[in-house]
Amino acid sequence: MKRNVEKEELLRIPIHMKLHYRFPAGAHYERFFRELKKTGKIMGIKCPECERVLVPPRPVCGECFTRTEEWVQVGPKGTVVAYTSIYFPFIDGATGKPRPIPYGAGLIQLDGAFSAINHILEEGDPDNLHIGMRVEAVLKKEREGNIGDILYFKTIGE
Amino acid sequence: MGKKVAIIGTGQTNHCSSREDVNEMELVYEAAAAALKDAEMTIAEIDAVVLANMELFEGRALHDMWCGEGGGAFMKHSFKISTGGTSGTSGAISGYYHAASGLFDRVMVVGFEKHSDGNTLAGMALTDPFWDRHVAAAAIGNFALSVSEYMADRGVTEEQSAKVAVKARRNACNNPHAHLQMPDLTVKKVLESPVLAYPVHRLEMCPQSDGACAIIFASEEIAKKRCPRPAWVRAAVTRHDHIYLGEVKNRLATMRSLKEAAKVAYETVGIKEPLKEFDVAEIYDPLTYAEIAWYEALGFCEDGEGGKLIDDGITHMDGELPVNPSGGVISTNPVGASGTIRVAEAALQIHGKGGKRQIPDVSLALATGYGVYCWSDVLILSSKPD
Repeated sequence: MKRNVEKEELLRIPIHMKLHYRFPAGAHYERFFRELKKTGKIMGIKCPECERVLVPPRPVCGECFTRTEEWVQVGPKGTVVAYTSIYFPFIDGATGKPRPIPYGAGLIQLDGAFSAINHILEEGDPDNLHIGMRVEAVLKKEREGNIGDILYFKTIGE
Repeated sequence: MGKKVAIIGTGQTNHCSSREDVNEMELVYEAAAAALKDAEMTIAEIDAVVLANMELFEGRALHDMWCGEGGGAFMKHSFKISTGGTSGTSGAISGYYHAASGLFDRVMVVGFEKHSDGNTLAGMALTDPFWDRHVAAAAIGNFALSVSEYMADRGVTEEQSAKVAVKARRNACNNPHAHLQMPDLTVKKVLESPVLAYPVHRLEMCPQSDGACAIIFASEEIAKKRCPRPAWVRAAVTRHDHIYLGEVKNRLATMRSLKEAAKVAYETVGIKEPLKEFDVAEIYDPLTYAEIAWYEALGFCEDGEGGKLIDDGITHMDGELPVNPSGGVISTNPVGASGTIRVAEAALQIHGKGGKRQIPDVSLALATGYGVYCWSDVLILSSKPD
C-alpha cells in the first residue's frame, strides 16, 4: 500500500505528557547530598579492594563487585580532563527545558578522586579551554541537596 | 561452544528522517516481510522472534506489545532487547544464541526505531536522575568531551574526521536503503557545517532516522538446505564498561569494551591480522571520530595510526579493508535497528547480494555495535561454517 504523503491528509495524534517521579536516593547519595547541602563538602567513596575513590559515590564498585563504605573528601579544586563548548540547545534533564547556549562542559577530575565528573564550566570559549586546566567548584548559597548545588566550575590560575 | 548457525535472510526498510505514511508496527512488518522473502520462508516456519528497540525515544513503552505482531511474534517464543545503541547488535546476538542453543531452528530478529514519532533529546535526557540528568549533555556533548581527549592523545585532525563523513555519505549513494546520500560532499563542506559541540560539526554526527531491519538465523541443517551461500556466525561477543563517563579514562582512545570483545572474537575465529583477514567491516560509527578510534580498538592499525588509514584510503570501497560500504550509522541511524543493519549488511556481503555496494568475493566479515557510553558488541560472519 503506497501512500502519497504530499497529497494525502495524514492523521497525526499529538500527545503532551506531564509525568511526576520520585526516586529514593539510597544511603550513599543521601550522605553525599546532605553533606553537600550542610557543609559544602564534596565527598567520594573509596573501594576497599582497588582503592579507587569514586565520585559520584557508588554503593558497589563496578570493577571489584564490592560494597563501598569509606568516605573521603575530594575537591573542591580539580583538573579538566576533557572539554567541549555546547552550541546546540540540549534539554536539561532536570528542568525539561533547553539550557542557554553556548556553554562550556567538561570532565573534571576533582583532587583526590579517581573518577572525573561531568559538569558545566564557567569558561565557554573553546579557545580558552584546554586539557589540564585547573578549576574549582562554585556552590549555590542556598543549597537544596542535589547535584545542582554545584553551579559550575570556575577557572583558577594554578 | 554452541551449535553452528548462519544468517540466511535479511530485509530492511528504506530509511529516512520521517516515515509519516506508516506507524511503527507497519515499519516492523516491512522489514520482517522483506527478510522472510529474502530467505524464501513463511512466518509459520519461524520458531522465535527477537525484537530490538531503544525505548523512550518514541515516548512509548512496551514496543513488543505495539509492534510484536508486525514482527510475526504472535503465539511464538518472543523477547525484546533494549541496550541503547547496541540494541540492534545485542538483538542479533540474542537471535544467534537462541539458534546456537539448539532449542530453536529458525529465529527472526527485528531491530527498529521511529525517531520522528517522539523526542530523541528527551529520551537521551532520561538518564540517572541523581547525577547525569543535571550535567550530561546528550550524545553529542558527551562525545565531544571524549573527542577532546582523543585528539589530544592521538593527534587525529579535523580533516581526517571530515574525510570519514565524506566516505560514509558517498558510500551511502550505492545503498538504496541509506538515509543521507551525499555524492557531492567535501571535507570543506563538512567543516563548514555548524558546530554542535566543539569540535564536532553537524555533518560529523549520525542523523536520526526512521527504519527497521530484520535478520533470519537458521540451524546448520536448515541453512545448508535453504541458502546457497549462508553467512555463518563464527563469534558473537558483548562487553559493557562503567556506567559513568567520568569513570572511563580516555574513552575513545582506550575503548576497553570494544578491544576486549574484539580480542575474544578474534581468538575464537583465529584472526591475527584483522586488516588483512577481513574482507569487509560494518562498524557502528555514531560519529566520524569514533570510526577512527574504532579502527585502533579493533586492531586494524596501531594506536595513533587510525587517521592514516582514512588518509591513505585503506578503508574506502577500493581499499584493503572497506569499512561501511552501506554508508554506516553516520548515514543511517534508526537506533534500535542501527546494529541490526550492521549485521545484515555484513551478511549481505557474504550472500553476494550487496548490489552496487557489493565488495567482490567476501568470505570474512566483521560487524560491531556501540551503545550508551561504552557498550560494545562484536560479531564475525564467514562463508565457511568452521
